[in-house]
Amino acid sequence: MSATVTARAGGPASGTTAEHTPVQNVTFWRLLRSEWVKLWTLRSTWWTLGSTVVIMVGVALMMSFVVQFVMDEMGAGEMSPEDQASMGGIFGAPTVIAGGYEFAALVVAVLGAMVITGEYSTGMIRSTFAAAPGRLGAFAAKATVLAVVTAVLTTVSLLLSWLVSYPILNANDMALDWSDGDQLQKLYGVVIYTVLVALFALGIGTLLRHTAGAIFTAVAVFLVIPMVFGIAVALASNVDWVLDVNKFLPSVAGSAITPSGAQVPEVLDPWVGVSVLAAYTAVVVIGGAFRLKLDDA
Amino acid sequence: MIEARGLTKRYGAKTAVDGVTFTVQPGQVTGFLGPNGAGKSTTMRMIVGLDRPTAGTVTVNGKPYAAHRRPLAEVGALLDAKAVHTGRTARNHLLAMAATHGIATKRVDEVIELTGLRPVASKRVGGFSLGMGQRLGIATALLGDPRTLILDEPVNGLDPEGVLWVRNIAKFLASEGRTVFLSSHLMSEVALTADHVLVIGRGRILADAPVTEIVNGAARKVVRVRSPQATELAELLKGADTEVDAVEPGLLEVRGTDAAAVGELAASARIVLHELMPVASTLEEAYMSLTADAVEYQSEDIAAITGATSDLEGSKA
Repeated sequence: MSATVTARAGGPASGTTAEHTPVQNVTFWRLLRSEWVKLWTLRSTWWTLGSTVVIMVGVALMMSFVVQFVMDEMGAGEMSPEDQASMGGIFGAPTVIAGGYEFAALVVAVLGAMVITGEYSTGMIRSTFAAAPGRLGAFAAKATVLAVVTAVLTTVSLLLSWLVSYPILNANDMALDWSDGDQLQKLYGVVIYTVLVALFALGIGTLLRHTAGAIFTAVAVFLVIPMVFGIAVALASNVDWVLDVNKFLPSVAGSAITPSGAQVPEVLDPWVGVSVLAAYTAVVVIGGAFRLKLDDA
Repeated sequence: MIEARGLTKRYGAKTAVDGVTFTVQPGQVTGFLGPNGAGKSTTMRMIVGLDRPTAGTVTVNGKPYAAHRRPLAEVGALLDAKAVHTGRTARNHLLAMAATHGIATKRVDEVIELTGLRPVASKRVGGFSLGMGQRLGIATALLGDPRTLILDEPVNGLDPEGVLWVRNIAKFLASEGRTVFLSSHLMSEVALTADHVLVIGRGRILADAPVTEIVNGAARKVVRVRSPQATELAELLKGADTEVDAVEPGLLEVRGTDAAAVGELAASARIVLHELMPVASTLEEAYMSLTADAVEYQSEDIAAITGATSDLEGSKA
């Protein structure tokens, strides 16, 4: 058996290895390809991405039924123009189409965390770093693949959501206006938001190297803390510091660019808010990169 | 070629690897022998840059591992059979590793074939036996057709056929001019596979010699002498071919001479002996005492042992 090790028995190996097995230099492009293979060869990827689509499309469908129900109850004909305008504010097309984005973001956060914690918990990270001893290249490739896949997935989910909600929204004169920059911004805002959440979770996962810990932290940051502050804001809307802290929470700041942005009492401008979330994300990702580069694998 | 210079790794107060200096030459199998916890794995992880040395340097084929543009073509490492994501299939793991170096799918299937993984190649690694995990680790190490192979306990969990296969493959790769560095805690394994051996204990290199020399040295008879004047006796016995180890206060182990000679020498110097016993030493025993001594020198050092202390590092190197 050993005679077939390289099928080129005889002849010194040193320096001539490439002739039998072409081995190329490690490049960022090759690291991207490797991370791409790694992502799609795990079942957890299919589960998380699949549930993201299902959640987004399901919630959009559900919310369009709610719109139909409300319209039936109220009778569109009896609505004053002001009422209709406020309906549009609450149940605008972006709100319906992206209705499930907060849940989808949590699922994407789980994926973002597991992309790295799965490697630390199984020991795979040692193989990864053996192939890419610079480490940061592999990490950047991981982040890139995660960001691109999250962006494409969220976009596809939104398109499917638009499709399934279109009949009802159109029937009620609420269909998405593709020429309305504000409406579109809310939708691609959702794409930016989920990408940032995924990267934030990747950063947390890299810092903690622990799947459960990273997912717990992401859920706390993007679900529990904003919930608590949501209650606090409702109860103490006259307390300035509660409002101030609230609008700078990662989730609340980032949501400023999404359809739910307008529904919060006090919120940052969309691009300011999303920049705040991007800054938090950058801090966590860079912190993670330092730990990944400097600590023993 | 692997060159370590003063390589040191501390974890807090614990020193795992203590200033080791060695060179692993190409064209032969070098065994890395030491008990569990002696620092073998830490040393190997430092070679491929997974652990950062506290002090010292190590290069592979002339450069630090991370400075190579094609690291998998320089070093193939089996550091830990568990360095694989349990949710991925064996073949997909290899494909992902191959992608980093633009290695063709053909080569992936080649190493699968070579390591006998074909029946399980499309199964997820989580369900692998230890032996299958080792084979996958070796397949990963061979993927880039590397000039240097680092195998940490490669025969762990393998069946006898697998053990034989690892031995043959290690020897074959070395015969091609590659550097093969293989660790084990079993002296017999190293004796069968390696041409040269590094013995490590407590993070220090205790011996660095051709395997035949270690085997011959170990085969030499040991004489155990108990005397209230052990220190004096040790001074008298020490000579060109005679090694004296102070096992404990008042007890010496003498190598390189026989019981009769020790007794005669003691009588002529009017040294009282309480015990004089030739001990037939096996390979394993020699290795055990070699590494056990390293432990004792750490904790007892100066205490009562005094001048009888022999410097293992000096005498064995």
